[in-house]
Amino acid sequence: MAIGRGYSLRQMLRTAAYRAVTPVLSVFLAFLVSAAIIIAVGTDPIVAFGSMLNGAFGSQTALATTGVRMTPILFTGLAVAVSFRAGIFNVGAEGQLYLGAAFGAAVALLPIGLPAFIHIPLALIAGFIGGAAWAFVPGYLRAYRGVSEVVTTLMLNFVAIQLVSYLVDPLVGPIGERGAAYAQSAVIDPAAKLPILLRGTSLHAGLILGLALAVALWILIGYTRLGFRMRMLGANPIAARFAGVKSAREIMTVMLLSGGIAGLAGAVEVIGLRYRLFDHFSPGYGYDGIAVALLANSNPLGVILSSGFFAALRAGANSMQQATGIETSVVLIIQALTILFLIFRPLRDWIGSRAGRPPRLAQDSLIDAA
Amino acid sequence: MEDGRHQTPELLRMDRITKSFGPLLADDAVTLDVRVGEIHALLGENGAGKSTLMKVLYGLHQPDSGEIWLDGRQITIGSPHEAVAHGIGMVHQQFMLVPNLTATENVILGMRAERRPMLDLAAARKRLVELAREYDLGVDPDAPVWQMSLGGQQRLEILKALFRGARLLVLDEPTAVLAPSEVGGLFRIMRQLASEGRGIVFISHKLSEVTEVSDHVTVLRLGRVTGTLPTREATAHTLATMMVGREISLARTTAPVVGTDTVLEISGVHCVTDRGTPGLTGVDLVVRKGEILGIAGVDGNGQRELVECIAGLRPVTAGTILVEGRPPSSALREPGLLGLVPEDRYEQGLIGDFDVSENLVLRAYQRPPYSTNGFLRWGRIRDNATQRIAAFDIRCPGPLAPVRSLSGGNQQKVVIARETQDDPALIVASQPTRGLDVGAVESVLNLLRQQRDRGAAVVFVSTELSEVLALSDRVVVMHKGEVMGEVPPDPAALGRIGEMMMGRSLESIDAGAVA
Amino acid sequence: MQLDVAFLIDWGSAAIRLATPLVLAAVGGVYAERSGVFNIGIEGMMLSGAFVAVAVSYFLGAADPAVASLCAAIAAMLAGGGMAFVHAYLSITRRADQIISGAAINILALGLTNTLYRVVWGSAGRERVAGFPTIRIPILADIPVLGPILFDHSLIVYVAYVLPFIAAFVLFRTTWGLNIRAAGDFPLAVDTAGLSVTVTRYVAVVFSGMMAGLGGAALALGAVRYFTPGMTAGRGFIVLGAIVFGRWNPILASFACLLFGAADALQLRAQALSIGIPYQFLVMLPYLLAVLAIAGAIGRSSPPLALGRPYRRGER
Repeated sequence: MAIGRGYSLRQMLRTAAYRAVTPVLSVFLAFLVSAAIIIAVGTDPIVAFGSMLNGAFGSQTALATTGVRMTPILFTGLAVAVSFRAGIFNVGAEGQLYLGAAFGAAVALLPIGLPAFIHIPLALIAGFIGGAAWAFVPGYLRAYRGVSEVVTTLMLNFVAIQLVSYLVDPLVGPIGERGAAYAQSAVIDPAAKLPILLRGTSLHAGLILGLALAVALWILIGYTRLGFRMRMLGANPIAARFAGVKSAREIMTVMLLSGGIAGLAGAVEVIGLRYRLFDHFSPGYGYDGIAVALLANSNPLGVILSSGFFAALRAGANSMQQATGIETSVVLIIQALTILFLIFRPLRDWIGSRAGRPPRLAQDSLIDAA
Repeated sequence: MEDGRHQTPELLRMDRITKSFGPLLADDAVTLDVRVGEIHALLGENGAGKSTLMKVLYGLHQPDSGEIWLDGRQITIGSPHEAVAHGIGMVHQQFMLVPNLTATENVILGMRAERRPMLDLAAARKRLVELAREYDLGVDPDAPVWQMSLGGQQRLEILKALFRGARLLVLDEPTAVLAPSEVGGLFRIMRQLASEGRGIVFISHKLSEVTEVSDHVTVLRLGRVTGTLPTREATAHTLATMMVGREISLARTTAPVVGTDTVLEISGVHCVTDRGTPGLTGVDLVVRKGEILGIAGVDGNGQRELVECIAGLRPVTAGTILVEGRPPSSALREPGLLGLVPEDRYEQGLIGDFDVSENLVLRAYQRPPYSTNGFLRWGRIRDNATQRIAAFDIRCPGPLAPVRSLSGGNQQKVVIARETQDDPALIVASQPTRGLDVGAVESVLNLLRQQRDRGAAVVFVSTELSEVLALSDRVVVMHKGEVMGEVPPDPAALGRIGEMMMGRSLESIDAGAVA
Repeated sequence: MQLDVAFLIDWGSAAIRLATPLVLAAVGGVYAERSGVFNIGIEGMMLSGAFVAVAVSYFLGAADPAVASLCAAIAAMLAGGGMAFVHAYLSITRRADQIISGAAINILALGLTNTLYRVVWGSAGRERVAGFPTIRIPILADIPVLGPILFDHSLIVYVAYVLPFIAAFVLFRTTWGLNIRAAGDFPLAVDTAGLSVTVTRYVAVVFSGMMAGLGGAALALGAVRYFTPGMTAGRGFIVLGAIVFGRWNPILASFACLLFGAADALQLRAQALSIGIPYQFLVMLPYLLAVLAIAGAIGRSSPPLALGRPYRRGER
């Protein structure tokens, strides 16, 4: 968030490089350890990672697949990053995502014959509202009762999954498709579908929306009054109080915003990719959002990169499995190790001493402050 | 006069203890000599070195030089465990009690149980009850600590020390948490324990209590012993003089502008502290335009709560506060009303991770020219910072430097520069010179004077008497949550101020009572 | 299916069976949180325990089932304890954020178990292995209704009967338990008393991992006797809810687990029973109860005061 603030280009580049070192190093080490595991299982890691790279970027189809996988975790990553910035731990993105998907699907299913440029935004707004609504109770409890948002949002994730499961239940669900083989809703109204970006692939406009949202949030956090308040709260809630910030109201705002963005993730998945609301449709996008936000140090533009990275991992995993037989779950190991190395503090300190301590811009990382 | 004491055996001698933390010299060749059966008071303002000395005694710090002698034998104390083994018991200011455990459980925490690992709850409980009865220290052995009153917790801490066979008992500011009615009980216990041959070190900065209960007094100031004498030879005046920090060298400047407009009106205000004890017990104050009201008094007598009430950060349980006719809830939100320089500049007044320019607009960022239509105007914010940095001579690499990299004095300047930006009608500065070097102190005081000259009403809360006298137009003294009286800022009033800090009201002092 | 005695016995027995893994993990989780460390990684530790238990039992196939299952249980505890050690190291020594550390461990466990599952069994899929021996306690099992519900189970269930009480005893009546409770409430007092906050917390966290691992073993070897990728399916998170619901008391938390197990057993039978409540609402019930508990709607719920906060000597 350093553009237009008065830093010299050189300063900005140096600090960006400094801030990028730890995430990159964490990723590198994670790959290193995973390579050891792959060797232990009897495969050449170079071949394995090579096929992964190919599967993620090697062709137009590969890129499209990466893009498709990137979209939901871009949104959830943004949702979590927003909450982290304000010092709030929203681990409920998964549940908010489901509620957003449900609300979005409900609107998208309406056969009211609206043109796309009305139907789509309506569905998206509904998705945002759904996610925000799901974040309301944990937000209220934290803002006005001081109850930790971690356990409440976590538990509500499972409630949300079950709620959606009920909604699309083939026997009793209000929007469940009767007699279907899977628990799913009917297909949404064609006008509510997001346009496809690349013909022949599933890559849809949701990605563009996500990128736009990332930029918008970057502007919000770095350049608006609300963003300033959020950062005050996240950096020093005591001083924020002394400066007149009403923390309860801010916490509510941030939770609703964060939940809403996660809700968008779900709605976009429904109207962009699946065109139906499915039972258990998310393989953990909400939790991936946490990893994405961490790797990006809660910077919205960084989230673009880190969500792309994790998406590439997932997209490449399939072709790696086909090429070498290595399970796709190795990718989960890489992801987990990345985070573990990221929070392992001596790594940061070691880098600091090697890098000769370049000028520290204000607002260094969330992880530092922990 | 000292003869009786010389004959009493020496229990503890901390001999020329020196301890520094980096550049800060906390204790400079401090010698403390406690006799058997003696209640020895350790007196000094905050930052005088009392707590560091006691932490050394309790094994939490190792001295850079100096020795510790117990019963005539030199010992080293490497950890609290060792201190306890030597018979040193400490009742800290912050109780070392686990809130969710019962009294008995707290007492036996860390002690070797007879039938390890089983707890000897029944035996411990019995012994605890016996001890409590013996010293008349009422404590419910089965009550969880969080249910106990602060006085009860303190009694438990004392029992804990006795349970472990303490021969030297250190009480760190014990009366801070007690109601006036409970203080007598504490002193009775102290006398009883002392008469049994124990030594008691009583740390305090309350002159009245020191004179009431102790046998001998040692006064610390800025890490050095400024005096040690039998209590009966000490007067409030001599003690206050030994305690007072810097010399009164800052000359008074302009005569105060006598304004008639009332800016701050406080009537009959009561409030409660975070702990639930009475914070303010009926405060009446009026501050007018163009004057500096100095609030003197020993720390912990309600000054903190008063500042928070004025700023709207603490609810008032009775009475009213008006800042330019507005309630305290508006004070921090409406521009031009209040500039607050809080006590803890880094935790409360600044956001360390933010840069100087951001810190300078913490209160003003919502308004033009710093933001328009919801968007921040960073260029304006930066320009403002450049300007303020120059105006206040803030030494820093530039407006974008992270504020945590500034020195204490410069950080304080940032706070003051921000808080005075709107030319607020009222400025409240709480311990603004704490932790600053002489030069920085000078700057801060001058800045406050400038504000007064501009026409602001300034409330200056400080434990540094010399500064209060040098800066203020009027001086009041707070004691136990109320204002004891007002005096002109005359060095000659030092004696009366000292008495008021001890709890005597101005009327009774002026009514001819002896100092 | 009718709502009769046969159903009651079936349901009750299933409830106990389903609650057992939860109880084991919950007891450990209580210890960790009581010492001040939030262990969100119970899910991953249970999963690791489940996998290791099945794998060990598989490789010891020819051996006596009792021996095999015992080795499996021990291996599961080591697996869970090992992961917990990593969590402890990051949370306590490195003072990293406990939520993140635990979450990362969950992902790691999922990745490791999925990968190794294929390595061991390829695409051969499920093979039943030797589980815990079933023991029908004579006389007691003959009591009408309650007998078959309570006293005709695999060995691990009986362990789960006894463990909460032993755990409660240790927690409230021994010096170790006292230290743990103090460390989670006010570590400064522990430090000043000459005890090590670090060691106390490490022990509690590793213990919680071992119990979670054992819970995973119970899940895999108690009834089904095979491993399915991701088979814990969020049970580790229900355990967190049970801990809150049980107010950080091992016995109460175990009753909460029993309640949740009953709900789980009921929802599996709900469809056949056609009681009219969609099973999903029964599945979400434990989580809702946990939220209500933590919101204070159900009784006073007061967590250990220092929960989640790393301890650093010298901090006031």
